[in-house]
Amino acid sequence: MPPTAAVRLEAAGCVTAFGNAEATHAALLRGERALALAPVLGSDGGESVPLALAGGRSLDETAPPNWLPVLQALRATIPADDWGAANRPVFVTSSNFGVGSLYAFRRHGDPAHLPFGTPAGCVEWLARELGWGRNVTTVSHACVSAHLGLMLASRAIEAGLAERALVFTFDFISPFVTGGFHALKILNAGFPAPYADRPTGSIGLGDGAGFAVLGDRRGDFAIVAQSVHNEMHHFTANRADGAGFAACLEPLRTAAAGRRLWLKGHGTGTIEAGRLESAALAAAFPGAPLVSWKGSLGHTLGSCGLVELAVAAAALRSGRAPGTVGGVAPCFVPQVALEPFAINDCDAVLCASNAFGGAHGAFLLSHA
Amino acid sequence: MPERYVHAIRLEDPGSEEPAATRERLKDGFPRGATRRMTQLGLLVGTTLDGLAPRTDDAVVYASSYAESRALEGYLESFPTASPTLFQTSIHPSAVQQSLIGRQHPVGEFFPLTGRGHLVAQALQTAMLARAPRVLVCGGEERGTWLLERGYASARTFAFAMALGAAAEGAVARVALERSGEPARELSLEQFFDRLRARATIDQMAAPGVRLTLTWL
Repeated sequence: MPPTAAVRLEAAGCVTAFGNAEATHAALLRGERALALAPVLGSDGGESVPLALAGGRSLDETAPPNWLPVLQALRATIPADDWGAANRPVFVTSSNFGVGSLYAFRRHGDPAHLPFGTPAGCVEWLARELGWGRNVTTVSHACVSAHLGLMLASRAIEAGLAERALVFTFDFISPFVTGGFHALKILNAGFPAPYADRPTGSIGLGDGAGFAVLGDRRGDFAIVAQSVHNEMHHFTANRADGAGFAACLEPLRTAAAGRRLWLKGHGTGTIEAGRLESAALAAAFPGAPLVSWKGSLGHTLGSCGLVELAVAAAALRSGRAPGTVGGVAPCFVPQVALEPFAINDCDAVLCASNAFGGAHGAFLLSHA
Repeated sequence: MPERYVHAIRLEDPGSEEPAATRERLKDGFPRGATRRMTQLGLLVGTTLDGLAPRTDDAVVYASSYAESRALEGYLESFPTASPTLFQTSIHPSAVQQSLIGRQHPVGEFFPLTGRGHLVAQALQTAMLARAPRVLVCGGEERGTWLLERGYASARTFAFAMALGAAAEGAVARVALERSGEPARELSLEQFFDRLRARATIDQMAAPGVRLTLTWL
């Protein structure tokens, strides 16, 4: 199957609990952890779990959602263009969209929450607020959503259907999603330690939003290869032989040949997925240092692919990659980097994400 | 702008059938025991996909505006003791995943899309840009309950799946997207389903800058 052609990254940015991409990169280099223990259901209480909220907002949903100002501030950093016009498509990606509003409606009965609750309603509202036209495609594939947005935008440019494309992603946590991961028992009182070989796993959840402007001419970075794979083995588990991870990475090995790489893995802090992912990455790219940043930022869900792309781009610009904040030895594979390291001699970074259903997404980001 | 040929179509139009009746009607088409936790939309989408005999080198495009409304309603009702099963079932692409996980059927590219009036054109464009030799485009909705009362779920249950390829030989229809400067109109998933069911031609603006034509051969 022919790969998606290389595309230029004209601009990228993100918001996390630390702030923008540069602030996030700097905080990660300092080894700071944005996650803090907070009640899993917000004002409804429950066990305290690691959460990282952006912009000082509350976990409890408001109407309109209290994360709109965060997105408006991010919108102000996107290069100006006629976004949403016929040849300037917008690809919006998320896992949760405004579904926290449905929780708020169910909990409090206030119908003011409802218009933000469905993906279509939420994105239409957001497009109006952010000043986009009507050419907006919405992708929803849980935590690989942003990867799919990048792939669709790249293909639209390659096919001549767009001159530039905006991929925009957001996921703001709410009791809807914290309650769900808590019910699955992987969100608990423990802080995540990605790739650590320990008896019990745990994740943290964080707010995230990001954007990427793709084109075929400008920009100092290029997305040189992209890959996706869907195991369809189990909703919340991967094939025990790691074949799903390997299948997603295989097409990228060719594109990475001859390059000096570092690896930004998914690394949420769960045990089996961390073991399988790190083993697959180590096998496919021997010796390349591997990091995850979700031990600090939390898992930003459907936005993680783009949020971490923006941080990785900041790292490439600075020549220094943050280590695996929250990670502890022993790790599943020796190439897990717990401390920051120099990347001046690296050509590219491979960024990978995973999702429910054994979904995998990965891309190779390099200097253009 | 690209074109593809439609080689097979499968439709499910159960009317007012309740989820339990759908499960009873369709359960023999799924692995034993697999249907117990499947949603109505999962059963219907899975049945239409099965009719196309998915292959591992297919790409799959899934379109739904509301997706798993019943699971979503049930999950919200489960608080404060949130249901882990309903949480994972309520995610948008769950209908396709329920079916393919039940059959342990991996796929490379899987693009779940959502939206409203431009969703059909966007799903077809996604299919036409896919790299796979054959692309399965599927979609559907399930009738909600209390979310429907508020206007935030589908009023109708239906599902479809169609196999798209590049070869004209043996095709039943041709679908094409052309660039046009005419004002965009809307074509909902339900309207598209009804056109498929009636084998009706489509020739209209269906997204900004995009004219959709569906011609039966």
